[in-house]
Amino acid sequence: MNTEVADPTNLSEKKDFLVRSSSLKDVRSFSREVFEKFKIDEDLREELVLAIAEAAQNIVKHAYKDFPDTQDRMAVRITCTGKELEIAFFDKGKPVEESKVKHRAIDDVKPGGLGTFFIQEIMDSIKFKEGDKPWINNLVLTKKL
Amino acid sequence: MTYKVTDEGDTSTVFLDGEIDMDKTEGAKEVIFPLIDAGKNVNLNLSNVQYMDSSGISVLIESHQKALEKGTKLIVKDVSKSVLKVIMMAKLEQILNLE
Repeated sequence: MNTEVADPTNLSEKKDFLVRSSSLKDVRSFSREVFEKFKIDEDLREELVLAIAEAAQNIVKHAYKDFPDTQDRMAVRITCTGKELEIAFFDKGKPVEESKVKHRAIDDVKPGGLGTFFIQEIMDSIKFKEGDKPWINNLVLTKKL
Repeated sequence: MTYKVTDEGDTSTVFLDGEIDMDKTEGAKEVIFPLIDAGKNVNLNLSNVQYMDSSGISVLIESHQKALEKGTKLIVKDVSKSVLKVIMMAKLEQILNLE
């Protein structure tokens, strides 16, 4: 885990993970450790962990849909400014087409399509960006604290 | 995740354990679905499940719908506070049979 402490009110931690479903538990562990270190409100922590895990899951399921055995890694960076939390994801998978990222209608009860809904419910903003090289995708989630 | 299944008459109780995510859902389905296919009512005990993501919620929906199709019943029991929060976020508390 890399810690950048340039400004004590601006903490940042980043870690990379192999892109596969078995990494999701490691993504959650990393997130929980960071939130404890950043002293994020306990009631909020597990919601944030869920949003992070859903975003990481989307990378595995969608950006790497056709490459289940990839050796690529994805990175998660959590930054806390004191007033806001920014969670950034970086991957080298298929470019995200933002117009196609949508959740199912919540009253149309069927399996699937809830991950993006959970992220939207938990976070204040979701932005898809082109990643700086070597990354292809850069998803940025924010939450006011 | 570990599983334990107990049987009493036409009802099977499945005890799930740990954190249920995309990596664990196939295993959960392999335990639950054959019981429903065999015409059993299924109690799904989640007292030891502390985390569930959208993939786990999909297993609950799929199991619930499968039970309806087969004319049996799926009851989700002893849900932890953290998992109940996710079920409520998905607005499923009125859809699933929760006890």
